[in-house]
Amino acid sequence: MLPKFNILTEEQVQAIHENTMKIMEEVGVEFSYDPAVEVFKKNGQKVEGHRVFFDRKFVEEMVAKAPAQFVLHARNPENNLVCGGENTIYMPGYGAPFIHDANGKRRNATLNDYDNFVKLAGASKNLHMTGGNVVEPQDVPDEIRHLKMLYSHITNSDKCFMGSSSGYEKAKDVIELTAILHGGLDVIKEKPALSCLVNSVTPLKFDDRMLGGLMAYAEYGQPMVIASLVMSGSTGPASLAGALSVQNSEVLAGITLTQCINPGTPVIYGSTSAITDMASGSLSIGNPECSLFTSASAQMARFYGVPSRGGGGLTDSKIADTQAGYESMMTLLGASTTGINFVLHSAGILQYYMAMSYEKFMVDDEIAGMVGRYIRGMDFTEEKLAFDVIKAVGPGGHYLTQKHTRKNFKVEFFRPQLSDRQSYDGWENGELDANARATQRWQDVLENYTPPALDEKVKAEIDAFIEKRISELKK
Amino acid sequence: MSAIFDEIREAVIDGDEDLAIELAERVIEEKLDLVEAIEKGYISGIEEVGASWKAGEAFLPDVMMAADAMKSGMSLLEAELARTGGEEHEDKGKIVLGTVEGDIHDIGKNIVGALLTAAGFKVYDIGIDQKAEDFIKKADEVGATVLGASSLLTTTMRSQGELIEYLEEKGIRDKYKVIIGGGPTSKKWSEEIKADGWAETADEAVDLCRELLG
Amino acid sequence: MENIIIEIQKGIIQGDAQRTKEKTTMALLQGIDPEKIIEEGLLSPMVGIGQRFRAGELFIPDVLMSSRAMHASLYIIKANLEQSKFFDKGLIVIGTVAGDLHDIGKNMISMFLESQGYNIIDLGIDVPASTFVEAVKVHKPDILALSALLTTTVSEQQSVVAKLKEAGLRDKVKVIVGGGPVTIEFAESIGADGFGNHLFDTIDLVKRLTEN
Repeated sequence: MLPKFNILTEEQVQAIHENTMKIMEEVGVEFSYDPAVEVFKKNGQKVEGHRVFFDRKFVEEMVAKAPAQFVLHARNPENNLVCGGENTIYMPGYGAPFIHDANGKRRNATLNDYDNFVKLAGASKNLHMTGGNVVEPQDVPDEIRHLKMLYSHITNSDKCFMGSSSGYEKAKDVIELTAILHGGLDVIKEKPALSCLVNSVTPLKFDDRMLGGLMAYAEYGQPMVIASLVMSGSTGPASLAGALSVQNSEVLAGITLTQCINPGTPVIYGSTSAITDMASGSLSIGNPECSLFTSASAQMARFYGVPSRGGGGLTDSKIADTQAGYESMMTLLGASTTGINFVLHSAGILQYYMAMSYEKFMVDDEIAGMVGRYIRGMDFTEEKLAFDVIKAVGPGGHYLTQKHTRKNFKVEFFRPQLSDRQSYDGWENGELDANARATQRWQDVLENYTPPALDEKVKAEIDAFIEKRISELKK
Repeated sequence: MSAIFDEIREAVIDGDEDLAIELAERVIEEKLDLVEAIEKGYISGIEEVGASWKAGEAFLPDVMMAADAMKSGMSLLEAELARTGGEEHEDKGKIVLGTVEGDIHDIGKNIVGALLTAAGFKVYDIGIDQKAEDFIKKADEVGATVLGASSLLTTTMRSQGELIEYLEEKGIRDKYKVIIGGGPTSKKWSEEIKADGWAETADEAVDLCRELLG
Repeated sequence: MENIIIEIQKGIIQGDAQRTKEKTTMALLQGIDPEKIIEEGLLSPMVGIGQRFRAGELFIPDVLMSSRAMHASLYIIKANLEQSKFFDKGLIVIGTVAGDLHDIGKNMISMFLESQGYNIIDLGIDVPASTFVEAVKVHKPDILALSALLTTTVSEQQSVVAKLKEAGLRDKVKVIVGGGPVTIEFAESIGADGFGNHLFDTIDLVKRLTEN
């Protein structure tokens, strides 16, 4: 494993922390959800209306209660994941309302797309989880969307997944569904099996929905990503250190709330901070500043002793073109080499989180494979140093017919599934670019994918729960 | 009896040269059917590796080690066949391979040799830095009609042309098909020197030989 | 052109509100016609700034700072001028729909429209449909602009349009919608009068709708 590198000095980390404490004490953070405000009042924090002014000792104490790492449990234990430490977890994009087809045409995402992306993630060797909210299935009514989405993850793969955090009720639904899958609420309290994404509303606010979700996950001890997206220049200062301080204040406020409700609840320090494109006012994510925010966040998370979330295959491009490739490689490589643990948005994202693309998904899957290999680093054993075989071949020979070669190349070399390494003539026969090859590949993967079987009894129970909730919610 | 043929087949697939030789010695010792051992053992094994290669399941070291194992074992059986005056095993065609004069690059030629072997051709590799005479001498000795000339340097490409000029001078150009390859070569170059074919990759070289010898 | 007008123009171009305000006061003291100050001192450089912004030479903060300087100047002129045609371009009521706390997109649109001479009433974020209806009733705006940034809140734009119909106000106001997940198809499907895809788009749209 490559040693993760730091982009901030210890003094700089300390400076961000000090600035953050000052912001939390003197500026405060606004929580629109009354039950959350009550929690802070009960814990002796100064509250004015919905704005909470934090005591720094209190924040530091609370954040220290969050675990440094934890295990996320999958229905197939082989797919259990350790979140934290040196580990890197890749998963698909999250929350895009649109699909951009290979030709760049935009359409609304559907539940069928949802299933497809879960299957592609399930089939991938490079993605460790099937993620959550992989697209917004706009053909499903909002009040039952969370059920349909979770069902897709449960039935189409046996990897770990995420659930809805959109309000207390929806969060409770998905927690109960996950409990059925794993054999009860007590089981998942012991062995967390569901995670969710809680986003602040920058600058320095949290809304009702997210706080409701946060409180449900915290009550049941399920992990959550507390994330902030500062658009440097518009919803935060245009200086990166300033924007990082705003982000840090929001994330620490969220983490503090989780630990007040249920000390020891696993949380992940999340950042999707990036910049404002000053020509259009829109968010821009495929850039070096975003990578700096991500890398700094990994380091701040290490400082606070919690796992981190950030980065991904991020781009502002509208199709899986060269721009999509170079921006995504920068952001995924940056996140991975500086120690981000939980990489949401690793695959499929286009146009600053607005769209998912099948082609981009396959390109990112390849990037994830390459970066995954890169961060694994070099092995240094006697055998790997290979003196014996170097001696056997001697000057002027070749290594192609050595047993050492045959044994090692398969584990040492990353084998691309999308990249073209053919001769010119080989390529010319078809002249397919990466986008076109990606189309062939995702269609091929979907055609050949069989979801892992789910126990009939458990499935019946899950079906019944969903049916019951749908009829209740549609009333 | 067929058990040993399966063992030979496995030895080739595993690229285990020592075992392939040992098994050939046993076949001779036990006076088993030499042609059957070649076809059901060595050829069958290399064909399987060739098919895996085509399917993208086997890689260069697999094919090359298998080709080495096959060649080493089979050459013993062929020598025995020749000694006992038995019927010769029928191959898909004979090819003489070499790197041209002035050039000591080995690896590309070796890869082509292995893949041609895996495709069922009989390959005679005369090595590096070979003059035109050396190609002809070997071809006549073994009855090969295809000459494969490799060149990796822009400065030695000329030797590929010289090989063809040599054949013309001797008035034996029609007796042979000359194919060329190597990094700096191109289809255009092969046309310029009037070669019979050019291949950019080892796979293409196999296709080319199938065309010429098919 | 009077030197003082050039000074005001410089203040606008530099986005220096303090300086623009001071120079405007001086210009008024010198007895320069307020309409002339607006036309030559403020609007003329703002047109140039708008053009340079569209050409990619200037950026959002530049334009907003200039706009702020212009408004600082207008504030002083207003005290000296009952009515100017500049303030007559139209009235727009704007807000982010219920359930949605996103502010920034709406704010940027507001400020840009303001810089173009529109009057804006910003109802803020998380605005219930009934509040929009009430505002239309009370302020009688030319345009009602609805913002939604979440896939879960775009449907709220539809309920605002429905509530306007119920209140019999739908034909009294043009409704435009915008926000990340909003598309032209969606705008058409809920019977909105327009869809603002980005800043320029929205400005052009408002211009079209108010001039008709």
